[in-house]
Amino acid sequence: MDESTLIRHATNGDAAAWESLMLLHQESVFRLAYLLLGDPDDAEDTAQESFLRAWKYLKRFDGTRPFRPWLLRITANLARNRRRAAGRYLAALMRSFRDEPASMRVEEKSAQSLEANELWHAVQNLNLADQQIIYLRYFLDLSVNETAQALQVAEGTVKSRLSRALEKLRSIIQQDFPVLADRREGREV
Amino acid sequence: MTELDFEAKIRAIASGMEYPRTPDTAGSVTARLHSVTRPRLISKALAWSLTILLILISSLMLIPPARAAIIEFIQIGVVRIFRAEPTPVPPQNQEIPSTMVPVTATALPTSQPLIPMLENLAGEMTLEDAQKRVNYLLLLPSYPADLGHPDRVFVQDADGAMTILVWLDPQKPDQVLMSLHFLPAGSWAIKKMEPTVIKETMVNGHRAIWTTGPYPMQLENGDLQFMRMISGHVLIWETKDITYRLETDRSLDEAIQIAESLKPITSP
Repeated sequence: MDESTLIRHATNGDAAAWESLMLLHQESVFRLAYLLLGDPDDAEDTAQESFLRAWKYLKRFDGTRPFRPWLLRITANLARNRRRAAGRYLAALMRSFRDEPASMRVEEKSAQSLEANELWHAVQNLNLADQQIIYLRYFLDLSVNETAQALQVAEGTVKSRLSRALEKLRSIIQQDFPVLADRREGREV
Repeated sequence: MTELDFEAKIRAIASGMEYPRTPDTAGSVTARLHSVTRPRLISKALAWSLTILLILISSLMLIPPARAAIIEFIQIGVVRIFRAEPTPVPPQNQEIPSTMVPVTATALPTSQPLIPMLENLAGEMTLEDAQKRVNYLLLLPSYPADLGHPDRVFVQDADGAMTILVWLDPQKPDQVLMSLHFLPAGSWAIKKMEPTVIKETMVNGHRAIWTTGPYPMQLENGDLQFMRMISGHVLIWETKDITYRLETDRSLDEAIQIAESLKPITSP
């Protein structure tokens, strides 16, 4: 059954179709929540809330548009609300530095993973809107069109916002993440 | 490095991101969906209390067969009264459907005592506290002169505070003599289906409706609904912001007299 059929069935109250849709998208939803919140438990809670919210408002979804951006928009909104809770985000960030699980210990990570983790920390220095567009476009690999749908802006706006966000990120990396900058420069040779 | 080169590098690095294992969100959400029977705007306790209250203030009747055609309705305040062709009054001794709880305010021999049920109601408070709680003026009947202050006062707050004043029968204190509801605009909605008698009248120059039972009454707040049978006499009238609902066993003339005697609270 293709996605549009699943959506049609789910809109009519078919819980099994909704579960299939969740299985298709739960990874993207969880990962975006994790990138925005920095804590796996918070990310899981947010992912669940995202699907519950989406199920509730599924009748409002425009079936002519792609589904994943709509879902990720809900996730981003919920994550943003969650971040507003006093101290939660900072606490999560602290935990992410302090208590990484054994499977994610620095010495076990690949060089590529270390770079990606550094990049993530660099992106966290941007404002939330810039973070969101970078996560969607580069970390979750959404197309420009999908990113535009998720942010409810025109594709041209996505391109201009990305350009500005990348410029800020480049400046942050050069100033505060010399390891990342050095690694990148080393690879460029 | 050009912007395109930098963008390509960022994409390449981001692709190496290691995430925690994706949890079984689909399974968790499915379980949660199965555990939720319906969304609630108010707590179970409050919903149950409201159910009990509606049973309490209603007489034992049976829902007549559903009618296919509702030909018109009367809207007064938050109350919508549907009218149809005259409906035969169901016999009182008809078998009670399992969905109806056999409790009545008119003290049938098999009924449960009312007072223990009153003790289970949420939102009970003093008259003074109720007045502080709601943003409209609570009024009390000054007729009959010996009526006095209500014996029980409840404020059921669910997207709008509904106040219910209950007077108990001094001779039979386990029975309700009269109840007066204050329904602010935009909160609760009441639908009465096919009362056997509907009469338009006036209360202090305001349009009013007099209904007698039996008829089903549906009380709604958001997606919360209660359906109960009413057999007593009910006078409904509205002012600018409040719909009043007086339930009593008195005659229409006396009910109007009670309604027109409402005055701000004074010390007992």
